[in-house]
Amino acid sequence: MIPHRRLFTLLAAAAVGLLSAALARGEGSPPAAPLAPPASFSAIADPAELSAAYFAELSKVLTSPRCTNCHPAGDRPRQGDAARPHQPPVFRGPDGKGLTSLRCAMCHREANFDPAGMPGHPHWQLAPAEMAWEGKTPREICIQIKEPARNGGRSVEDLIAHIGDDTLVGWAWAPGGGRTPAPGTQAEAKALVRAWVESGAVCPK
Amino acid sequence: MHPSRRDVLKWTAAGGIVLSVARLPFAEAATFESTQTMPGRAAAGRAGAGRIDAVAKVTGAKLYASDFRAADMEGWPATTAHALLVRAADATHVLTGLELGLLGADAKPSVVVTAKDLERAGLRAPPFYAGDLLCPLGTTPVYLGQPVALLLFDSFDAYDRARITLREKSPLTFGAQTGPVEQPNYAALRFTRVAGAEPGAPDAYSPLMEGWISPGFFAAGGRPIWKPLPASEGGQYKKGATYGEEIRALIAAKDPAMVVLDRAFRTQSVDPMFLEPECGLAWYDPKARALRLALGVQSPFEAADALGDLLGKAKAEFKPERIETHFAHMGGGFGGRDHTPFPLYVALAAMFLPGRPIRLAHDRFQQFQGGIKRHAFEMRSQVAFDRASGRIRAFAADHVLDGGGLANYSASVAVVSATSAIGSYDVPKVDVTTVAHHTRGVTAGSMRGYGVLQTSVALETLMDEAAEALGMDPVALRRANLLKAGGRSLTGNPWTVSVRTPEILDRLERHDLWRGRAAAKAAAPAGTRIGTGLAISTKDYGTGADCSLGRVEVDPDGRIRICCDATEMGNGIGTSVANRVAQYLGRVADEVSVARIDAFGALGLVTSDDPYTITQAAQDKAARNPRWVPAISSATSASIGAHVGTQAAAQAARVVLRFGLWPAALALWGIAQKDPRRFLWEEAYWQDGMLILSGLPPLAQKDVAAKAHAMGALTGAMAHAFSRWAWAQAAFPLDGLDWAADIDALAVRRGSGPFKVLDRGFVAFPPASYNRIGTSFTSSCGTLVQVAVDTASGAVRVARAYSVLECGQTLTREVVVGQAQGGFAMGVGYALLEKLPPFEDGPGNGRWNLGDYVVARASDLPIHGLEVEVLPPIAPNEPPKGMAEVVMIPVVPAILNAIHDATGRRFSALPVTPDDVRRAL
Amino acid sequence: MPAISLTINGRPHGPIEVREDLSMNDFLREVLGLTGTKFGCGAAQCLSCAVIVDAADGTSATMPTCVVAAADFDRKKIRTIEGHARDGVLTPLQTSFITHFAFQCGYCTPGFLAEGQVLLERLEKAPIARAEVERTITEALDGHLCRCSGYVKYHEAVRDVILADPKRYLT
Repeated sequence: MIPHRRLFTLLAAAAVGLLSAALARGEGSPPAAPLAPPASFSAIADPAELSAAYFAELSKVLTSPRCTNCHPAGDRPRQGDAARPHQPPVFRGPDGKGLTSLRCAMCHREANFDPAGMPGHPHWQLAPAEMAWEGKTPREICIQIKEPARNGGRSVEDLIAHIGDDTLVGWAWAPGGGRTPAPGTQAEAKALVRAWVESGAVCPK
Repeated sequence: MHPSRRDVLKWTAAGGIVLSVARLPFAEAATFESTQTMPGRAAAGRAGAGRIDAVAKVTGAKLYASDFRAADMEGWPATTAHALLVRAADATHVLTGLELGLLGADAKPSVVVTAKDLERAGLRAPPFYAGDLLCPLGTTPVYLGQPVALLLFDSFDAYDRARITLREKSPLTFGAQTGPVEQPNYAALRFTRVAGAEPGAPDAYSPLMEGWISPGFFAAGGRPIWKPLPASEGGQYKKGATYGEEIRALIAAKDPAMVVLDRAFRTQSVDPMFLEPECGLAWYDPKARALRLALGVQSPFEAADALGDLLGKAKAEFKPERIETHFAHMGGGFGGRDHTPFPLYVALAAMFLPGRPIRLAHDRFQQFQGGIKRHAFEMRSQVAFDRASGRIRAFAADHVLDGGGLANYSASVAVVSATSAIGSYDVPKVDVTTVAHHTRGVTAGSMRGYGVLQTSVALETLMDEAAEALGMDPVALRRANLLKAGGRSLTGNPWTVSVRTPEILDRLERHDLWRGRAAAKAAAPAGTRIGTGLAISTKDYGTGADCSLGRVEVDPDGRIRICCDATEMGNGIGTSVANRVAQYLGRVADEVSVARIDAFGALGLVTSDDPYTITQAAQDKAARNPRWVPAISSATSASIGAHVGTQAAAQAARVVLRFGLWPAALALWGIAQKDPRRFLWEEAYWQDGMLILSGLPPLAQKDVAAKAHAMGALTGAMAHAFSRWAWAQAAFPLDGLDWAADIDALAVRRGSGPFKVLDRGFVAFPPASYNRIGTSFTSSCGTLVQVAVDTASGAVRVARAYSVLECGQTLTREVVVGQAQGGFAMGVGYALLEKLPPFEDGPGNGRWNLGDYVVARASDLPIHGLEVEVLPPIAPNEPPKGMAEVVMIPVVPAILNAIHDATGRRFSALPVTPDDVRRAL
Repeated sequence: MPAISLTINGRPHGPIEVREDLSMNDFLREVLGLTGTKFGCGAAQCLSCAVIVDAADGTSATMPTCVVAAADFDRKKIRTIEGHARDGVLTPLQTSFITHFAFQCGYCTPGFLAEGQVLLERLEKAPIARAEVERTITEALDGHLCRCSGYVKYHEAVRDVILADPKRYLT
């Protein structure tokens, strides 16, 4: 028999984090900042400027601590809204999931464990070093995110699904434990990525 | 060996409650006591060396207060209820309500206790903890983290659900903004000393001569007016303050023959961060009208007394007839469990849920929110050096301490900060003011090295800066100013123990790290700056009223059992007392029981007055009662473990040797009455379990013990010792002799008979005037560190270090070295990592944990590059000296001096963060 | 409530119903009375609550219990500090902790013991070079906080077990 909780976490993962989102957004989580929909930029006539504006809006998500904490500049992730170094000191390790003795999954289980404010996801890990965003401007992130060598080997079209559908990315909108969620919703972020890609993926100045 | 009578220490608290720790004799020890007895019956002897509590600690035995539930306590009901303390995270608005509607039906407390309930029950805060135990509705909490309500839950699950919910959302509501509640300051004192004109001449003015003085006047807001005012009040203050102002004028005159430094320093509040959060278990048995508790505190006697005060005037249903306290090992203390209010709340929980054992346990958020903190300091220090000689001519300082919400130890910390302000140095003119303020911060109290840690940061960085300004070597400048044996300290008294600072400076100066500092700096790789710094510190041990209770028994097989009142928080007291007793009785104890204030009923001790303020006349009168002592038992704090904590047991063991084992040995050797070798007992010594006296066959320890029992000789002794910067001495009638020793009460047993108290024939308590001494027991430590500063990040890494300390006779070498290593780590944390902001952003908001509060990990420390040297005692019989605090202190200024050497920048506010360094570069 | 079954120190426990929001730490300490596993921070930052989890593939790792649901330990095999010694015989690491005076208050000891034991068992399967010993120990133990000892003696205690049996632990 699959224990109830295990079943629950499997369902949560399958349902793109919707269940855990509902759970995690209970008491204590500060409200997410809003994210403007692509349509709200229709006043911008210049197509390049419009595309860049989509990215600038999206960058509110990409530069949120929910994203940069695990896209760190070095090998040690950061934690919390203040983005302080992770305690205990954990490091990337060969597979992005920690060194031998302090693996991510020791604490970060398949779903958030809210009684201890502990975030979780089945694939908890650091973004690869070449995908570091910490301390970068939206423009720098934009240029980086378009390069397959520095975006995990993705085409810009692939980014729509990565940001829009990936459940680990989706955790950023349901972090629990008093953490401020990434701005908007994952669906809103997906719409912005799609609009940016379809408008030529221009980077902001 | 097995006393037939119950041993009960009883004393009567306010309101006539009998405070006692009743226990059965050894053979029938209750479950709890057997868990606290090391190495314990289960462990058949100790395998080789090691701490006496080592096996228990590596096997997960129930040991700490947090390990016990009702089911573990013999004779208690089986199930445990749970209590939750709700604390205020706001101290500037009126508390308007407690809304528990957010708790689900399965998370409701069965009892809610508020300030009103305490009032109705007639419960009151003990004097030391004066203030509202629970903040009344309609008032502004006096401090952040002030308790508001106790929620009592029948089941763990209900409690657990409630604490999860309340961790996210406070049930407290607040109304109008009032600003913080103002309260008077906790202490304001001035310490001034003017030496006589010639070396060796009497002082012109000193606290020892004239008493301690406090200004009589305070400006609005509680700030003391330090200037001498032309008023009739405070005349005593005026005299000292006039001398003090002259010293300040001298410094301000800017004599070209002097180099004057005038600097400000800021040190932060930190948490002791002992790893076991505070917790306790209690059961009020209404049938027996007995309140029983299991606690873990550094001050067991005080805790029991405070519980008596809490409940002594209560209405009948809230007033037990007896309070029985059990004290467990602690998962760290560092001062933070000395005089903690936590046991009061444990007792309240039990009194409001009669008949049910109940547990109150902090989680880490709550421990940050409610536990005792270190005082944050602001200091201004002014020093005038003679340009030609480098000698300090005058020193003035002003200390402002943040005492937080309740008084606790603030007055003592303020005093220690002042009396330690000139550290190890000889300064002819000193004037220090010190004031501890009430603030809305979390209560600050005792923590490792208090007072001295903060002032050493100022003094030892000033010494380095002065050396630079004077063009002198930093070691030479320190050496030129050292207080020598017999010289007078700031309060005007000399230190009465060995003074080893000259040797410590020599060792630092000779060390490779120091001699190679220029080369190391030059060899720094690109992007790194290397710097080396040193500092020395001296720290008082003892408080000026320290007690020790010790009981030693030897059975016919030579097995040794020891009880003492000192507590075990990692300090190794059990091991040290066993080792010290072994020097007399030839065998490391088979059982040691610590934190036992209950095992000394036979002494029948009584006390009166406050040992710190008693007059000489009152002391002389009281001392006529042979059962009277100035104080019965004291906290395990102030580094007194080795010196005081082992004293009574050691003296008891000496009595057992002299009047028990020695006569037995004489009998076994067949030495006759008139043989002069009868008097050579101090020439005899133990080696590998054999008693040896030259020219005679060695005797096995167990044969000697068996003979002592067979002869009806003395086989057990219990003693009380008291120190006020000197031991109380008394003489007791033993075998026709007047046996004089550094103890003031003694009971002995012969064969397997009961303990019988002996009336002292003579007693000399240290004079009451010794209360004017700041310290006379002091030990010293020097630290040398090399840091590597990463110029890009500003990160400071302590790369290598050397600490050299002295502690008289070493009782357990590994414990001493371990304390030095641990003190070093805590020093690194204080210098570079740990910080608690004072108010709303600080720990009182209930959101602090170890992610934000960073304590040193192994990766922050030079664990392979830390060398510790312990100086040998000046003589084999030099008494042990306290050392567990001083080892932390010079680490901090040494790091600051090393950072300066590396970067050319001086930092005067702690901790020094990478951002600070990066900005400065 | 889900029911869990697990093996602790070789002994089967369960099935026992547990609340979904019950932590493993409270399961051990409050439900089973196994208080050798400590509670220090409740946030996986001190690791005094760590236990050893023995995986089916023969590997072992520590896991904190304060931030993990009891339900997450269903069907796991774990070792707590109470289960290191067998029949009263201490492990070499326990003995080494004692002879080195590694700990003072001892409250972090269960975590260090678990981590050190896992390291020794790992090295037994994958020995390392002598030059790697210190770095490997530091890396392995660094998640564990100790407020008393300054860590030196803990590290020496682990190192000396390794060096005492080089054939087992070193290449």
